[in-house]
Amino acid sequence: MTSTIEVHNLTKRFGKLIAVNDVSFSVTENKIYGLLGRNGAGKTTLMQLLTGQEFATKGTISLFGQAPVENAKVLQNTCFIKESQRYPENFRPKDVFTTAPWFFANWDPKFAERLIADFRLPLNRPIKKLSRGQLSSIGVIVGLASRAPLTFFDEPYLGLDAVARHIFYDRLLEDYANHPRTVVLSTHLIDEVSNLLEHVLVIDDGKLIINEDAETLRNRATTVVGMKTAVDTFVGARKVLHRDGIGGLSSVTVAGLNESERRDAKAAGLELSPVSLQQLIIQLTSTDTKEFEVSA
Amino acid sequence: MTTTNPVLAHPASPLKRITNVTRLHFANPWTTLGLPWIILGVILAGTLTIWWLIYSALSSANREGALAGTEFGGSSFFIFVYMMVVAIQAISITFPFALGYGVTRRDYYLGSSLAFIILAVIYTTGLTILAAIEKATNGWGMGGSMFAPIYFGDSALGRAYVEFLLLLFFLFFGAAIAAVWVRWKASGVVAFFIVVGALLLGLIALVTFTDSWFAVGDTLVRLGVLGVASWSLVITAISAISGFFLLRGATPRNAA
Repeated sequence: MTSTIEVHNLTKRFGKLIAVNDVSFSVTENKIYGLLGRNGAGKTTLMQLLTGQEFATKGTISLFGQAPVENAKVLQNTCFIKESQRYPENFRPKDVFTTAPWFFANWDPKFAERLIADFRLPLNRPIKKLSRGQLSSIGVIVGLASRAPLTFFDEPYLGLDAVARHIFYDRLLEDYANHPRTVVLSTHLIDEVSNLLEHVLVIDDGKLIINEDAETLRNRATTVVGMKTAVDTFVGARKVLHRDGIGGLSSVTVAGLNESERRDAKAAGLELSPVSLQQLIIQLTSTDTKEFEVSA
Repeated sequence: MTTTNPVLAHPASPLKRITNVTRLHFANPWTTLGLPWIILGVILAGTLTIWWLIYSALSSANREGALAGTEFGGSSFFIFVYMMVVAIQAISITFPFALGYGVTRRDYYLGSSLAFIILAVIYTTGLTILAAIEKATNGWGMGGSMFAPIYFGDSALGRAYVEFLLLLFFLFFGAAIAAVWVRWKASGVVAFFIVVGALLLGLIALVTFTDSWFAVGDTLVRLGVLGVASWSLVITAISAISGFFLLRGATPRNAA
């Protein structure tokens, strides 16, 4: 396995605010990574650091084996699509698609054309007059058609409707299968992308709290449902992530169970169901995070 | 885990990377070329109308030389100052855009500088052609002078030289302001003008207290308009170089 990104003890301070706090991780080549976290958790800052747009306070970053800051050799392999990307005044979508290929060696004009049709983007309307969703679709099209070996999408679909978002997911998966590349996708819509992601990085309050394979992560917690007494007996002293109940029924989310524990639960007449990635992350990034970290 | 270097199909040459940024400034040339020429055209039309009103109000005996004073006018000066606006707009708008495309700040600045030099050439050429028309038509048929103001000397070549350097000055001064803007936004620009204002005041104070106004005037006269224009290159170069170093530390932000 080769890694596209290596980050060691990365810290970024803005005055007193620590936006990224001593983060270390690596990103494996040709995988789709989810960078998840709440608003203001440090996702955008982290991506700006990785693309050399922001300067690190401490720590090292290596992209394709080299530091990214002001390094044309590395940066011309990257494409960074931001949530609120601004375009030059008076540009029309057409101008964006004329200029983008100058900067991306792997640009595929046919693919771009197809995406423009998929998103029904008007090419000649001034960008200032586009709707929020149409504006986002420009970024999505550039990010996909550029086929940059390392592509960052930072909340790329503000204002995109559900249909358009699914077009984005479908085209990303499809094109990624034919042209493998490394993708880092930051998003709030965790459940929508959860099938897309192969690896999950969760950042909270500037700290990296989860760095795991998506599959492993999904198995990290299970919801146990059944009669309250049976559930309570089974849960015992286990760390509880979340508890719900109606009348005599109870639903409790606990940290991952091994095979024999699962058998025990079944024997006790309890139902086990997987926890969605979104629920899991909500539970992990809300107040009882620290407890979970200790237990996990 | 091992780390490998990327294999790129067509790595762009350093020159190509720079000229790509230059092209970016002309991809939709409304701000850089369209609007300034339109404004200049409107000013020309307005000026000619006023001249025509004066001209037609006079008896034919008095027409001769009635508009001679227009060579002291400065109706085409706007284009020079406006270049500062063009540079500020061009950089503040394309900088965050280009960096998202994986352009380095260095390539961005060099490419933009090349675009500014090309703009200066285009505008000098345009002004020279307009001045030639003006001369050939005897001041638009009325003896007026808009594109050959007396301050720029009376040879076409000398005028082009002065205009080119003046355009460069405003473009790169604008580039420096834009770099301050991109890096520190409005508060930075305010601080920048306070510093520039203080420097100018300091200079004036220095000249006043050393009683050297006469010497300054004498030097300016001795240098002549061409000499003064040549010396502007020093300030242009300082602006260009500071712009480069200011921008190298800048981070694209979304807030306008």
